[in-house]
Amino acid sequence: MPGQPETSESRLGFSLGQDHISFEVDESIYPIEALYGACYLFLERCYVFLSRTPSGPVTVRLTARDTADASALEALAGEFGNELLSQVARLRLSQSTARIREFYTAAALRAAASAPSVDELLAELESEDLLEDPLEIMVPWEEKHGNKPNDSES
Amino acid sequence: MSERITFDRSLYSPEAVEAAAEAYADYAKIAVTPGPDAIVAEVSDTADLDPRTVAHAFCNHVLYETIARRRQAALDEVG
Repeated sequence: MPGQPETSESRLGFSLGQDHISFEVDESIYPIEALYGACYLFLERCYVFLSRTPSGPVTVRLTARDTADASALEALAGEFGNELLSQVARLRLSQSTARIREFYTAAALRAAASAPSVDELLAELESEDLLEDPLEIMVPWEEKHGNKPNDSES
Repeated sequence: MSERITFDRSLYSPEAVEAAAEAYADYAKIAVTPGPDAIVAEVSDTADLDPRTVAHAFCNHVLYETIARRRQAALDEVG
């Protein structure tokens, strides 16, 4: 890792250096995909470096792009921690609703595949005998009922 | 002056380190040595640029490439 000046323990338990802050992440609580998600969002704001002691936890090291004092570095690490939690929540939610999403996608695809096309609808319409009139809607009133006088007029 | 950076294989993909080294070829000489547990990159000849800044930016790029490749692989798996 590029130059590692000496570090001290911050009041929030982070290891604080001159221009960087580092902390360990427990992968049993924060899956690696969530960690990558948080790192991705912080690449624009600071320099992010991940390391791991053999079979140990992941160490995240955030280095300020410009000069930053201890409180600014602690705030940066705190925000990273919040984002990490948010990413874990998103990941868990995504995993728990995966089957529902799969079901709705499959149902939508099935419906789209079985829906008739416009040409099929037109062909069906043309094949129907439109001259059939079982309710005799096309028969004029006089033909149906004769030329009876209206009761209210008499 | 050179910066030696060790990328753990469980966190960074070797292809990402190679891709980042290629992307930074105009800014520094970067020698990549893949090992069984880690990939070592030696950043040197940064011309008039600050070697630490180049090394930090290079690390960010390697992380970006790793994440992008993992996401693409996950998408390819789905179909």
